[in-house]
Formats: sequence, structure tokens, C-alpha cells
Amino acid sequence: MSVSIKKYLWLVFAVAGGIYPCIAGSSYAVHIGVVVLMFAVLSISFDMLARTGQVSVGHAALFGLGAYFAVIVFQKLDFNPVLTIFVGGVLTAVVAAGFGFITLRMRGIYFSIATICFAETLQVLALMARSITGGAIGISVPPLFGGNIVLSYYFILGLLLLAIFVVRIIEGSRLNFAFTAIRENESIANVLGINPTKYKVLSFVLSAFFAGCVGGFYAYYITYIIPYEVFGINISVACLVMPVFGGLYTVAGPLLGAVILKIAEEFLRTSIPYGHMIVYGVILVIAVLYMPSGIVGLVGKGRHENRFDVKLTTQGERKNDTA
Amino acid sequence: MAGLYALVTLGLTMVLGIMGIVNFAHGDFVMLGAYVTYWAYTLWGVDPLLSLPLSAVTLFALGIAVYKFGVKPILDAEEIEQVLLTFGISIILQNVALILWKADFRSVTTSYSDMSIHIGYVSVGLARLLTFVIAILLTLFLALFNRTMIGKAMRAVSQNRKAAALVGIDVDKTYLIAFSIASALGGIAGGLSSLIMYVFPLEGAQLGLKAFAILILGGLGNIWGTLIASLVLGISESVVSTYLPEGSGWASGLSFAIILIVLVLKPTGIAGTRGE
Repeated sequence: MSVSIKKYLWLVFAVAGGIYPCIAGSSYAVHIGVVVLMFAVLSISFDMLARTGQVSVGHAALFGLGAYFAVIVFQKLDFNPVLTIFVGGVLTAVVAAGFGFITLRMRGIYFSIATICFAETLQVLALMARSITGGAIGISVPPLFGGNIVLSYYFILGLLLLAIFVVRIIEGSRLNFAFTAIRENESIANVLGINPTKYKVLSFVLSAFFAGCVGGFYAYYITYIIPYEVFGINISVACLVMPVFGGLYTVAGPLLGAVILKIAEEFLRTSIPYGHMIVYGVILVIAVLYMPSGIVGLVGKGRHENRFDVKLTTQGERKNDTA
Repeated sequence: MAGLYALVTLGLTMVLGIMGIVNFAHGDFVMLGAYVTYWAYTLWGVDPLLSLPLSAVTLFALGIAVYKFGVKPILDAEEIEQVLLTFGISIILQNVALILWKADFRSVTTSYSDMSIHIGYVSVGLARLLTFVIAILLTLFLALFNRTMIGKAMRAVSQNRKAAALVGIDVDKTYLIAFSIASALGGIAGGLSSLIMYVFPLEGAQLGLKAFAILILGGLGNIWGTLIASLVLGISESVVSTYLPEGSGWASGLSFAIILIVLVLKPTGIAGTRGE
């Protein structure tokens, strides 16, 4: 796909996103838009981390942390709700820095295991620490902007633009080389003078900030949070399937993945309970086996085409490392 | 419980040690094994202990299928893809189970499920004791199995795939056998789990999580480390749930606490054998 067509597509995407609430008609349609955008930010957040080759299978941990931080800060300190969303994001990023510093020193697979346990344990913590989190009953909060759904839409759209902006900055800077080098072969990256842990923690912190902000936004949008929901596996799975389906290591991939899958899920949910989860699982397996570059890779030859070239040359060493 | 944990972890550590893949779907294999036992008991009245081979065979077959269609194509792929694939299989199995059998907690009640044996001051449930004994026996069996030709081939392949292929080992077949045996172990673990806990679609996810904690605590591919780590987790869970207020709620978070502590203090696990 040529560069100019790509630019026009982006423009169409941006305009469609901007005027969507005005043309959507019903508030249900706007609600779907908000949900799609929330998951678009989460997908991009997951992808930020995936750029260093780390898979978070417990992304709900960050989402839930952000939600609880925002709500607790709001209740205890009586901050402005919008402010607490960002405070929640920052606090989540701080926790992620600590967690990442401990767990990202090892091979990626142990980090993946740690993330899934992280989400489970936070759920236990949220269930048990009743005095702060309200236990299984959860906490309710007043809605954002007095329940104005269109304003909420533009808020989350703004967050999405911020996330895209950050990803574009990463892509244009030397960070991109460091991230890619670590993903392709950590040992070689290390030898080349890149400190893998440092960059992995950095990408995790960025990822956590955005996931935390979405969590905070979700809390005010839905107006109550319960541990089973915000730390639940469904959110972790969605965060991971959408970018993989759309195409990892791109901006368009996670966006497309979120838009297509979330709308599809909305239809499936009503027809078969749990049906969308099976579809997610099947998509994940098929995506890994038959379309490793996702939809973006099917449509055009993305820039990550070269990751297979690099792989061929490093395969032998890598397999021996892991054995 | 410790015996069950050990059994679940054995299959996981086998696949990881030999093939270098973390099978996120292993817990769900266990869950399927539990359902096989449950249905054999409910429909035909087969005693759970007798239907263990049935669970094993069913899961052995499933292991072959999953290996052929899922795992084999991604053996050479990046780690990230391997994680995503097994995680995808896990999601499918969990939700198919949710649709087929609902989120109900089911249980198998046998004539001996209420019996217990007194040893000194300690009384142990018979079913739990049986589970533990079978776990130990299977561990011993695996240790012996390591000395057979196939076991040796597995160890050779895990050390260096190319060199193993050069000396005439069929790497693909060895992987297939390893993966299927690991799945069959999961099936047996599932069958036993139906004796001492509820059978429900998400039990695999819960057990899988604990198995990961044990894996990290015990060290990769180390059978004895796995056994000791299972004891540590099983005993500390029951201590926490007995002696702390609202302990049973906190106990489920214990596995993560263990992982975190181990990672901070000794990233190689208690047995110190994990390859970096």
C-alpha cells in the first residue's frame, strides 16, 4: 500500500472517530464507541510492551490497579475525577516499575507467568482488603462529567490520541532500535550495549500508565468496580487477542483489532454466552499459526516484514540458549 | 493437595524442560481429565481410581492432536508466539467447557471420600493420601523413565536438538511422545483432583497458576525440586487457611507471593537448576 493511500486512510479514520458521536444517533451506539476506544487504548498499551518481546497475559492487573487507584484516591482525597484517572495511571506505572524491575530480569516466559499470577493476586487482595476496596461488593463512584456520554467519548478519544502519539515518538526515536533488538535476540542486544532490563521496564511502565488510565476511566464510566470484573481474565484476554489479531508492532494493528473484534463481540455476546471467548481463542491460535503479522500484515506489507529475515539468522543460537 | 500440585506441575515441567515451551493450556488438560473421571463416574458409575487410565488415554490422544496441529508448527517460532498459542488453546478449552457443562461446581462422592487415617496426632483424608501416594509413584516412574531409551532421547533433545538429530534421534517423534505423556499426566492429575476438590471449568486455570508457582520455586525440569516445592506450597496454603483470619481467601494469593519472593531472593529456584 502506498504511503499516500495510507495517509488518507488515517485521515478517514481520524475524521470518523471525531464526528462519530454526532452521527451515531442513539446513546447505545456512542456507548459502543466508548468501549471500542477503551479497548483500542488497551491494545496499544499491550503492544507497547510486546515491542520488547514481552507478553503480558495478565494485563487486567494494570487495568484493575488503575481503576482501584483512581477510585480510592477520589474517595480518600476528594480530587477532581479526571485528575484521579491520571493519578491512577501514574500510580499504576509506579507499581509496574517495581514489579517489572523484579520480574523483567529473566527470560520472557517467566515474566508472562508472573503477570498472570500478578492479576490473580491483586484480585485476591481486592477481595480481602475490604476496608479499602469494599471486597466482593466493590466500590461505586459518581459518573464522569455528570454522566455525559459524549464528553466521555471525547475524553477516551483524547487518551487514545495520546497513546498513539507516544507510540509514534517511540517509533521515530532510537528506542525503537533498542526495543526491536531486545525482541529479536536479547543476548545479542545485551552484547551490543543495550541494557535489556532497563528498556523492558521502560516499555512496561509506559504500557502500565495507559492501561491504568483506561482502568480509571472505566471505573467512572461504569460507575462501579468489582474485583472479578476489573482483574478478570476476560480483560487480559481481550488486551492480548486484539493487537495480535490486528498485527503486532504497528499502530494500525491494535486499533483495527480493537474496532473489529469489539464490535463483533457485541453481536456475539447476545447470541451465545461465552461464545466470543471461544472465538477469541480460535483467533489467537489461527493468528499465530497462519497470519503472524495480523490483519495489517494481510493487507499490506508492514514494516515488521523484516522480523522473519532476522529470525532466520538468529534461530540457531536462540534455540540453543533456551535448551 | 501437595501431591496433586506435584502431578500438575510434572507435566508442565516436562514440556518446558524438553521442548522449551510453557504450556498455558496444561491446567485445562487437567480440567478435562477431571471431567472425564466425573462423567465416567456419573454416567457409568466407574470408580474415579479405575477411570484414571481412561483420563490418561483421552488426554494422551488430545496431546497428540494439539502437538500435531498447534505446537509443531511453532517449535521454531519466537517465544511470544508460543505463549500466545498455548494461551489461545487454554481459552478455547475453558470456554468450551463453560458452554458444555456450565459454571457449576460438581463433585464425585465415593465410599471412601469421607474416610481418614490417623497417623499419630495427624489425621489425613484417605483420598488425599491416595493422591499423594500416586503422585510419588508417578514421580518415581518418571525418574526411571528417564533411564530408558526414550527418556535418554528426551534428555538429549532437550540439551541440544541438532546434535540429537545428528546421532539419529527422531526429534519430532521424541517431542510428540514427551508432549503426549505430559498431557496424559495432566489427565491423571485431573482424575485425582475430582476426588479431593470440586470439578469446574476454571479449576484448570487455578491449578495451572499454582503449578507455575511450583515451577518457579522448584526450578525448571527438576523432578525432585518440583516435589519439594509442591509440599511447600501445599503445606503453607493449609497453614495460612487454618491459622489466619479469613485464611482461605488469602491462601489463594499465596502462590504469587511465593513467586515474587523466589524471584527476588533466588531467581534459580530452590534447586538452583533453571537455565537462564
